[in-house]
Amino acid sequence: MNGRSKPASGLRALPQLARYVAQTMPWTTLATGCLAGTAVLVVVARIAVSSHWPLGQGAVRLAFVPAVAALAFVPRTWFRPVTQATPVPAWVAPAGHILLTVPILAVTCWAQLAIMAGTITARGGTLTSPGDQAAPHPPAVYPLIAQLTGWCVAAAAAAACVDRSRYADLGGAVAAPVSLVAFAVAWYLPLTGKVLVRPPAPPAEVTIAWSAITSGALVLTCAAMRDRWHRYPRLSWLSAPSKGACPGPGRRESRAPAAR
Amino acid sequence: MTSADSESVVRSTDGAAVSAGAGGAGDAGSAGTGARSRRPRLRTALVLASADARLLLRSLFVLAGLLAGGVITWLFTDAGRPLWWNVAWVIGYGQLFLAMAVLVAAQLAAGRPRRDAMADLYASFPTSPATRVLGQLFGLAGAAPASLLLIAGAAAGVEIAGAVGAPGIWDLAAGLLLVIGAGAVGVALGTRFPHPLAGVLGALALFVPFSQSNRLTGPGIWLYPWIKPPQLTLLPGPVTGYPPAAAHAAELAGIAVLGGVAALALTVTSARVRGVLAIAGILGLAATCLAGAAQLRPIPAADVNRLVRAAADPVSAQHCTTAGQARYCLYTGFAAELAAIEAPVSAVLTRLPVHPDKTLTVSQAAPLSPDLTLTHGHPGRQVSQWNAQLQRVPGDGGGIASAIYLAVTVRPSDARFALALAAAEWAVQLTPTLTDSSELPCLPVNQAREAIAIWLALMATHTPAAQLQSGLDGPDGQQNWIPVSSQPAPVAVWNYPGQNLGSEPIAGPQPTAAGYLLASAITGLPEHKVISVLQAGWARWVDWRTTDGQLAAALGIRMPAVPQFGGAQPPGSQLANPVCTT
Repeated sequence: MNGRSKPASGLRALPQLARYVAQTMPWTTLATGCLAGTAVLVVVARIAVSSHWPLGQGAVRLAFVPAVAALAFVPRTWFRPVTQATPVPAWVAPAGHILLTVPILAVTCWAQLAIMAGTITARGGTLTSPGDQAAPHPPAVYPLIAQLTGWCVAAAAAAACVDRSRYADLGGAVAAPVSLVAFAVAWYLPLTGKVLVRPPAPPAEVTIAWSAITSGALVLTCAAMRDRWHRYPRLSWLSAPSKGACPGPGRRESRAPAAR
Repeated sequence: MTSADSESVVRSTDGAAVSAGAGGAGDAGSAGTGARSRRPRLRTALVLASADARLLLRSLFVLAGLLAGGVITWLFTDAGRPLWWNVAWVIGYGQLFLAMAVLVAAQLAAGRPRRDAMADLYASFPTSPATRVLGQLFGLAGAAPASLLLIAGAAAGVEIAGAVGAPGIWDLAAGLLLVIGAGAVGVALGTRFPHPLAGVLGALALFVPFSQSNRLTGPGIWLYPWIKPPQLTLLPGPVTGYPPAAAHAAELAGIAVLGGVAALALTVTSARVRGVLAIAGILGLAATCLAGAAQLRPIPAADVNRLVRAAADPVSAQHCTTAGQARYCLYTGFAAELAAIEAPVSAVLTRLPVHPDKTLTVSQAAPLSPDLTLTHGHPGRQVSQWNAQLQRVPGDGGGIASAIYLAVTVRPSDARFALALAAAEWAVQLTPTLTDSSELPCLPVNQAREAIAIWLALMATHTPAAQLQSGLDGPDGQQNWIPVSSQPAPVAVWNYPGQNLGSEPIAGPQPTAAGYLLASAITGLPEHKVISVLQAGWARWVDWRTTDGQLAAALGIRMPAVPQFGGAQPPGSQLANPVCTT
């Protein structure tokens, strides 16, 4: 089977590949992330209804964070030295995994938006910030969807990049916090905040900004997944050997990946 | 245990500490768990703990958590005067972020054997899983330096900024216990769920109550890991049991014990040890529940009474000093503020051409509002009475014509010009009282007394011209316009320095740009000349009907060019501010 030189045989291999991709997909991790966020939102929605303070889009952003964190564990090439030796490109499996997450994340987003809308109906409006009174019309949802899409793709890009580093085995454990911190910094930094946060930025501008981030992150994800080389730059100050410690599982030569 | 034993603790590159032959020579012949005596096992745990503590100390997660905690503490410490009874609890928000990072780091470390599918290899070591978990739990002491550093850094910053009051030891200790408790929960999570997502979700569980704290009210907020009630910022002094720091620390200690017990219970096999753990778990649970119940106890009625009285009738709870024509009243602990408050006010009063026959009262205010967290557990009639009293709090509606109120959170040095202007407005009978929040402030449109008041404040404070000039522009750099009743077009206004301090220390009339520009022009004249002109017809100048043009003519200067509104009336501009006519 050589998918690159013989497209027809590659197509015939698709069902087998799909089965493999589906079997190796981290369903539990993804489902846990999506359900945990949604469960939190349900609890918060109950509090919001009882306190007569409808949920805002901020609550949906918060509830979507676990799903984004779970997504950071998805792009992973298991047994890379082996998979790279096979005729099927190594990026096929992680790319398939990412594609499989799309409908799940979409359903999660839809469910969370529906929960938010449920708390608004009684008030006839929603909040854009904690201090606001209920507005007569709910704010546009498309900037929020663009933002959540941007978060997802950026987290996937971070995970794909970590997968190419010596910390590949840590994967999402590095990519998730790094992504979340980056989102928080982008949100609160005045320079980026005035473009990425609504208000002050108008909805169209926010959507365009997040779409641009999504596009860039998508390119980065593809480039990282297609990269065939191990990137093992070692941060010497981080992993400096301690005096008196014996060579062990962590004391590998500098080109080896780190233990989890 | 010899030094060779210490060397047998091997570290992996990302922070694992595993024991390879930690039993040492004495244990060489007895590799089985049952053969090991308790003392070497404890020593082994301590050796592992020291290695784990060192790794936690230099963990990137913990370092990031420390940085995030520092930023959060800084962001949540109000820009005004730091009050220790508020700041000590705000530091806990920083500790919360550090705790999240420690939880993730601890979970990663504890879940490593199973995550790496190397449980069998680890089982072949002479050290049992329970000993390794015990070592990890002891190793959480490695997070303490970061927590203490956060406390020390915040305390140093707050003291340099001139904090009022003293830090509550239990408030700070509870923050440390929060970090340790989160670490223990992280170890328990990692022992049961090795996947790193478990740690991330655990950290998010800590974050959710913090993020939704604006929705949570009542005494139940103390049961969450860390929530700060908004009223804490506005208290004029510490209130016993608000927040219930000692009980909260006990609750967090109980959670830490429960986390440790859960982690050990997942690894021990001995029935006897399980029994001991069960007892420890029950004790931890009991301590947590008792601490929770203690936090839900109502604050003594006498304390709430004292607080409500201090907020509703500040002067009755303050120490007052009379100097010249003004009486300065400050809450206990704020005596050092007297000089800073007195300076701008007396500088205005000494310049007055004609001294009023009344005494001006300058007082601090604590604009509290009814809050269940303070009043829960008391009879409804009593709570209604307190709420009615709090509705009349100066600075939150109402007001007294002969007093200036300055919120406790505002630093007098930041409100220097505002104090001077308020005193000058009082002198020219533009009453410097706080208006009801539902009402719009009046504008002294084309009134000479406004320019006189601004001139007096300018002469008293010598505020830099650039700072004054910036008040003409809004946040977007454009001129500010306000619709005024009986005026055909919106009026250009001027925001004086200190007007937007957040807590609105003095809500007097809204100055106009015309008044500021005329006052600014008057500062170019000799002071004695202006005083003599004002002295000659003081009663006329303080009359609201006397115009800016008349004052300019009397002083022999041209009326400066005032911006005129050139655009269309904005939609929905029916809501117009009144003109000051008193």
